[in-house]
Amino acid sequence: MIPFEKFKLDNGLTVIVHDDYTTPLVAMNILYKVGARDEQPDKTGFAHLFEHLMFGGSVNIEDFDEPLQKAGGENNAFTNNDITNYYLTIPAQNLETGFWLESDRMLSLAFTEKSLEVQRSVVVEEFKQRYLNQPYGDVWLQLRPLAYKVHPYQWATIGKEISHIEEATLEDVKSFFKKWYAPNNAILSIAGNCDLNRAKALCEKWFAPIPAQQIPERKLAVEPEQQEKRILELKREVPNSRIYMAWHCCSRYDKEFYATDLLSDILSRGKSSRLYQQLVKQNNYFTDINAFMTGELDNSLLVIEGKLVNSTDMDQAEKVILEVVESVKQGIEDRELQKVQHKAEATIEFSEMGIENKALNLAYYELLGDAQECNRQAERYNAVTAQDIIDIANKILTQNNCSILRYQSSN
Amino acid sequence: MIIRTQEPAVSIPQKINIQPTRQLSTKSGIPVYIIEAGTQDVVKIELVFAAGNIAADMPLLALATNDLLDEGTKQHDSAALAEALDFFGAYLQTENGPDWSSVSLFSLNKFSNQTLPYLFELITSPLFPEKEIATYRQQGKQHLAVNLNKVDFIARRNFFNTLFGANHPYGKLTDEQHYDQINSGILLNYHQEKYLNGLKAIFISGRPGTETINSIVTAIDESGFKSASLPEVNIHLPAPEKKFIEKKDAMQSAIRIGRRLFTRSHPDYFTFSVMSTILGGYFGSRLMTNIREDKGYTYGIGAGIVSHAQNGYFYISTEVGAEVREDAVKEIYKEIDLLIHEEVSKEELHLVKNYLTGAFQRSIDGAFQLADRHKMVLLNNLNSNYLNEYLEKLNAISPVDIKICAEKYLQTADLSEIIVGQ
Repeated sequence: MIPFEKFKLDNGLTVIVHDDYTTPLVAMNILYKVGARDEQPDKTGFAHLFEHLMFGGSVNIEDFDEPLQKAGGENNAFTNNDITNYYLTIPAQNLETGFWLESDRMLSLAFTEKSLEVQRSVVVEEFKQRYLNQPYGDVWLQLRPLAYKVHPYQWATIGKEISHIEEATLEDVKSFFKKWYAPNNAILSIAGNCDLNRAKALCEKWFAPIPAQQIPERKLAVEPEQQEKRILELKREVPNSRIYMAWHCCSRYDKEFYATDLLSDILSRGKSSRLYQQLVKQNNYFTDINAFMTGELDNSLLVIEGKLVNSTDMDQAEKVILEVVESVKQGIEDRELQKVQHKAEATIEFSEMGIENKALNLAYYELLGDAQECNRQAERYNAVTAQDIIDIANKILTQNNCSILRYQSSN
Repeated sequence: MIIRTQEPAVSIPQKINIQPTRQLSTKSGIPVYIIEAGTQDVVKIELVFAAGNIAADMPLLALATNDLLDEGTKQHDSAALAEALDFFGAYLQTENGPDWSSVSLFSLNKFSNQTLPYLFELITSPLFPEKEIATYRQQGKQHLAVNLNKVDFIARRNFFNTLFGANHPYGKLTDEQHYDQINSGILLNYHQEKYLNGLKAIFISGRPGTETINSIVTAIDESGFKSASLPEVNIHLPAPEKKFIEKKDAMQSAIRIGRRLFTRSHPDYFTFSVMSTILGGYFGSRLMTNIREDKGYTYGIGAGIVSHAQNGYFYISTEVGAEVREDAVKEIYKEIDLLIHEEVSKEELHLVKNYLTGAFQRSIDGAFQLADRHKMVLLNNLNSNYLNEYLEKLNAISPVDIKICAEKYLQTADLSEIIVGQ
């Protein structure tokens, strides 16, 4: 349970405040409603590259990190297909430094050639380190365009290819900022040792003077219903083969989200889950197997990822996974449903252990429509019935809705 | 009118009072430490054993014993144990380190009566069935094979091996063959010797109820655990070395530079850790500023200091584009030289002290985090006032101290260097 207060500035910035006096710190989270899905197909990786530039100095402040560190603070950020999120924690008495820094980079960036040039190289090295110079690193670069033919979820946050990042110009960067970085396209949440009045005063002082902007209406292509099973075979120099099976499912906004999420939990949450017990423990087809929902804002994917033992071939891998998937459609015991509901409840409790997580949760649920929803999650999961899960399994876990990546070891 | 070019005034605490642990004792004298804090209705129960790598005479033995504790007991098989804990939304975390091994249970308070018995069951009477070991063996070999394709992993293991030597528990490498050498018998034996006779301490953190605490103490009393200290290892330690390990078609090269170092109780520990923060311990560090933010050679570079029960080590670690590897290495040594030859400015040291003060506050924020800091102090036999004196000691360090420390410990001839890639 995270109690909070919410208000909106005249320029459209939504602010959420949760006070917690058990800590001497404050977490400040700013979520911008822009992600990789808002990029053009020929300029991908941009939202993420932009996140890097947000640390390269803003219009009135040469360096973002130095004053923050001097105030005892620390910060980071992440970008995904839907959002770009910046967060910092700082000793409560120095919170104003956080407001000063975050508001200045919302106002405008410094935009220097040097900063762009360096961050292009840094992101190219990140691309190599995480996606190219790692065994199985390119899986998502391959799986996304297989599952999505139209929707921008077809590219990963890092981008389709290195050249898109290398070719980014200062003009591109400026127009991206103008288009998306504005108070009325952001949610600010404050969690920790700070009361509502102080938060309000600081918001009025630092954020209220930033003008609102016209935010373009998001018109993303809708992914048409998949009509046939898709298979992509890759051969790579990796020690063992892996299989990835992805089915389209509902968006994070959908009320079906909870049943779909529990479906993935029944398949693979914990060592007692069906896939792990049947295919790793009782039978020796895989060394590990997982199922999860990507949970994205438009339609998302339910993915099963299996690491094959050498004696399992791809056809067999697919067949035995489908057998387990079919078994869910045949029935779910009460105790099994209760188990995944308890797991969901525990996950929520543990995820609220730190102020940083609380701040992020509040901002994220506000993005979904209402921050108060973060206090109703356990209730939502508990309302799901076994039949709801079976219905979802019948609806989405079908052959025509499935994209399969066969990641073959050439060794 | 606000002046946006003017940074707000900041203040940094000079003293922080740390919430102490509450200590209970058991009949066997094994201490139970309680840290009641936080806002969530959850509990973490961690049991620490003198059963890490230093206690084992073969690589993998300590890790495998730790990993396989929950794979079946006299009362429940592996599947039944997993189901029972999952059902109550609880989870286990096992950790095997160079010195200590630990097992933690995370549970909702409302279910701790149901989950606790499973924790004690799997700690006191694991069976290590051959069938489960066979699965583990296959998983472990596959995992190792994948890791051996990563430049970063290869660099890290060779770094330890170079620093401590192939015969020291801190430097021994796990290879595929070791997975073939483990079996039920030797794991049972290790468990008997090092777990049942090696329980060092119990840490309970979160919001445990009195009933939970009492039942833990009772369980410890009834199970007949004995305490033990870590063994002393006296093995000749090798001289520094530089190694290049080629990995064809690697797009990035992994670099590890560093040296063997002292333990946490050494008088230079504190100054060294501040020095390594200046060099590579935070986003604004000299290495990050030079190698990432100025040259764009890497996604990240860091330096740090790690201490074990017997000595420790200092490391610099990064992955850089293969084509800029030589220049990156040159720049790293340039930054080291600078620390040796020039005093750090008062401003830079001030900034690092402020940053470390904030980092220290973050490190004790929340029940589990605070418990970890207390655990560190207790396991390392540090002065019980260690955490309370932290800021005072930090603020006493001067630019001259840093320079002297660099001269003493960062001479190139004393550093080992591992490069993996092209």
